[in-house]
Amino acid sequence: MDSGPIKIRLRAVNSKSLAGVIYKIMQNFETLLKSSALAHGHLCPGQVVGVRMAMLGCRLIGLDDPKSHGQIKKLIVFIEMDRCAGDAVAHVTGVKLGRRSLKFMDYGIMAATFVNLETHRAFRVISTEESRDLASLYASEIMDKSVRQISAYKRMPDSVLFRVQKVNVNLDKFDMPGPTQKKVTCIKCGQVVRDNREVIINDQPVCRPCTGKAYFYMPREVT
Amino acid sequence: MLKKMSVRQAVGTRLAHDITEIRPGEFKGAAFKKGHMVCSEDICHLQKLGKNHLYMIDLEKDEIHENQAAQILAKGLSGIGIEWENNPKEGKITLHAAYDGILAINTANLAAFNMVDEVMCATLHNHTLVKKGDLVAATRAIPLVMQRAPIERAASTASHDNGTISVKPVKSFKTGLIITGNEVFSGLIEDRFEPVLSGKITDLGSEITSLEYVPDDSVMICKAIEKAIESGCKLILLTGGMSVDPDDVTRMGIARAGASEIHYGAAVLPGAMFLVAYIDDVPLLGVPGCGLHHRITALDLVLPRIMSGEHIGKKELAFLGHGGLCMDCMECTFPHCPFGKGA
Repeated sequence: MDSGPIKIRLRAVNSKSLAGVIYKIMQNFETLLKSSALAHGHLCPGQVVGVRMAMLGCRLIGLDDPKSHGQIKKLIVFIEMDRCAGDAVAHVTGVKLGRRSLKFMDYGIMAATFVNLETHRAFRVISTEESRDLASLYASEIMDKSVRQISAYKRMPDSVLFRVQKVNVNLDKFDMPGPTQKKVTCIKCGQVVRDNREVIINDQPVCRPCTGKAYFYMPREVT
Repeated sequence: MLKKMSVRQAVGTRLAHDITEIRPGEFKGAAFKKGHMVCSEDICHLQKLGKNHLYMIDLEKDEIHENQAAQILAKGLSGIGIEWENNPKEGKITLHAAYDGILAINTANLAAFNMVDEVMCATLHNHTLVKKGDLVAATRAIPLVMQRAPIERAASTASHDNGTISVKPVKSFKTGLIITGNEVFSGLIEDRFEPVLSGKITDLGSEITSLEYVPDDSVMICKAIEKAIESGCKLILLTGGMSVDPDDVTRMGIARAGASEIHYGAAVLPGAMFLVAYIDDVPLLGVPGCGLHHRITALDLVLPRIMSGEHIGKKELAFLGHGGLCMDCMECTFPHCPFGKGA
C-alpha cells in the first residue's frame, strides 16, 4: 500500500442523472428497510433516510451489493451523525468500526460520504433540510407526524431528499482496513498504541490519555 | 461570473441580458436585446432607463446564463400536454396548454422545486379547466448567472413522476342520468334536474345517452343503474334521495347495484351530501338537491376530474375542504373565484 494519502479528484456531479437511474441490483428497498429497522430497534424517519442514503451512495460509487464478498473490502463510509440514519447506513452498506470501513465523523450533519477504494470515487450525500418541510406535501393524507415523514421520505425523489457532492477524500495508510500497520508503546504508561494514533512529545510517543486530553478523567485501576 | 462596468466602458461589448423599458400605457419590452453590441449612441438611452452600469458576463465552467437555466427548468417542469417556446425572455419561459383539458399540478413537486434557491415557477391552480394555448405556468431562474448544479437539481425534482405540470384531456363519456323521487316520478312536480345536468355534461364534451326517472325505491334505482351500465354508459349521475330522510334511498340503490366503493359526503358547501361510488370502473355521482339551487356545487369540482380519468375517493373529497366554501356571491364569477381552488 502506498504510504501517501489517496487522491480522489473533485468534479461537480450532474444531479439530474441521479433521479432517472433505477435501483437494479441492490436488495429491494423495503427489504432493506425492514431489516435495518429490526437491527436498529424501531422503524423511524431516520431509518428511511439512512437506507435511501446508503443505496444512493453505493450506486454512485458503482457498488450494487456492498456486503458481498467481492465488494465488502472496496468500501469505506464516513458517517457524520450518530443518529438513526447512521445505523441504517451502516446496516445497508455493511461497514463496521471493527473492519475500519466505518469512519465516524462527529459533525452533527445528516450526511455520509461513500468511498470506493478501488476506483477512488467518493460522493458525499447530504440529507436536505427542506425535505422535512416538504413531508406534509408528499404525504398530506397522513396525520401522525412520524408516519407521515416515513411515507414522505419513501416517496420523495433523490433530488429532494438529498444533495450530492463529488468529493476528494484523503485516506492515510493508517486509516485503511487490514492488519495493524504500526504499534508503539507509550513512554509514560506503557500502553500499546496502534496505527499512528500516538502523540509525539519531545520525539517520544505518548498515548492520548497521557496527554491529558482524554474524554475521561481521574482513571483509577480497579482490576 | 458578472463584471460591472460603466455604460461608457461597455461600448463595444455585448449586453449580457435584455434591458427592459416600460413606458406606461405605451410600451413594455426589451429596449435592448441580450447580445446587442453597445455603441456610443446607446449611452443616452441607457441612462434614461436608469442604467449607468452594465454587467459583462464571463461564465465559469460550472455556471450558466439565466436563459439556458430557464430552458432546463421548463423542460423539467413540463409533463404531457404542455408546450413552450424555446425563446426565453428576460430569463423567463411561459408554459402553455397543448390542448383543451384539465390542468394537473404536482403540488409537492412544485413546492420542492421552489425550495431550491434561485429558481421559481408559478402556476394556475390545480384542476383548472384550460383551453389549448392558455398560459398555465411560468418559470425563471432568478439571477443572471448561476451555478449549473442547483438548476439541474431543481429540474430533476420537477421531472419526477412525469413532470410537475400537465394537462389531462377531458374525455367524452356516454352518460346515464337517473332522476329519483316519488314526486317527480308520479308527476306531482316537474323535474328541473335534467336540463341543468345535461348542460353541464354537454359543456364538458360528453352526452346523456340514457335518462331514467325512478321513484324512491332502492330496488328500482338499482335496476335503473344496471340498465344504464348495460346500455354502455361509462358515467352515471343520480339526483335526489341523497339526504338523510327515510325516503332518501338512492345510496341503498347504489349499494344494491354492487358498488365496490361508496364515498358519501364531500368537504364542499354547497355539496356536502355529494356522493361518489364505483361499479367496476364506472363512476356514479350522487348529486344532492343543492345542484338545483346553486349554479356551482361539488359536482362542478369533481366532474371534470372524473372525466379526465382521475379516480375520486375519500381523500380527494376530503381535500376539497380547503377552498371548498362557496361565498354565494350575488353574481357568480366561478371559475374566477377561490371556490375549489385549495384542493
